[in-house]
Amino acid sequence: MSCCPINDIYDYIEGRLPAGRRQEMEGHLKVCPKCRRAAEERRHIAAAASSLPSLEVPADFTDRVMSRIGAAEARFPVWLIILASLSSLLALGSVALIASGENLMGITLGASHSLWEYAKSAAVLTAKVVTLLSLTGKTIQSLLLSAAKGLSMADSLISPALLAVLLGLMTVLVVSLALAARKKISLGDEP
Amino acid sequence: MNEDQDQVLVRRTLRGDRKAFEMIVRKYQQPLLNYVGRMVGERELALDFTQDVFVRAYASLRSFEPRYKFSTWLYKIASNLVIDHWRKKRLPTYSLSGTRDEDGDQLAIDVPTEEPGVSRTFELAEMRKRIETALEKLPGPLRELFVWRHINELSYEEMAEIKGLPVGTIKNRVFQAKEMVRRILEEMS
Repeated sequence: MSCCPINDIYDYIEGRLPAGRRQEMEGHLKVCPKCRRAAEERRHIAAAASSLPSLEVPADFTDRVMSRIGAAEARFPVWLIILASLSSLLALGSVALIASGENLMGITLGASHSLWEYAKSAAVLTAKVVTLLSLTGKTIQSLLLSAAKGLSMADSLISPALLAVLLGLMTVLVVSLALAARKKISLGDEP
Repeated sequence: MNEDQDQVLVRRTLRGDRKAFEMIVRKYQQPLLNYVGRMVGERELALDFTQDVFVRAYASLRSFEPRYKFSTWLYKIASNLVIDHWRKKRLPTYSLSGTRDEDGDQLAIDVPTEEPGVSRTFELAEMRKRIETALEKLPGPLRELFVWRHINELSYEEMAEIKGLPVGTIKNRVFQAKEMVRRILEEMS
């Protein structure tokens, strides 16, 4: 046989040559120092490569991996939380519906009817409050205008000194009435 | 621990048994670190990447198909991480299935008449050191195959499964890697 292809030398070293080819190769290696040397060299390199030292794994490596896995598991995405909440609400609602014995259509119609009634009452109440406020405003305005007219007429008929005395008397009267009313109220409160 | 036991551990993990996955980590942390360490060069980075392999494996365990070997599935995850790293660092990567016939053809020729010997020059310990240095000079994809073959002791069939390539292509590339290491050692001597 002629000299060996390098592919065959590798296959021979790794024991992957078919039996016939291997015997042929072994016969050749006995008589060919060049191929024998080439095979020995590659075998030596392969042996050294296969015995390269392992890299040192830290003692806490497994714990670190497991804690990272735990942390990753603890982080739930927001969409999952929302989905879980909605599902829980739906489940609770279903349980309440079944427990109440009502049917879903009846509850839905009842709820919508109540809502309509509440809306109507609120609208009427709002309209009444607006009307009342408007009337109160108009009344206060008329009273203030009448008082102003009366004062201007009194001012033209009575002297300023007498007007001042009259205003003072009126003030005293109003204060006395207010105090009397307060006393009446407080007496009524006593046991 | 054989492949069947791996499958049992995977099933237990999927049922929520974290101890089972811990056993998987303990079993594969050393071989994976040996591989990743030689691929990325830096120890701390290698430790981080090896952790990432397990975290990714745990997260996608449901997608693991039991008809494949669990170990090759782990190496595939690790290999993808390493390739991503090479791309980010803009290190040269090339397809193993691509045409590099000029190198492949050299393996089919006979042993050259004047082939300088290298192995006899060094003692085993020195040879190991020089092989580590030679590995750093090897292109990444060939280094990966060399490490899988010699350090992780994967079969050509397993490597073919990981890389999704025919066994013949993988075998050819492994021989190519071995010859390249030998040539680098030759230059160093």
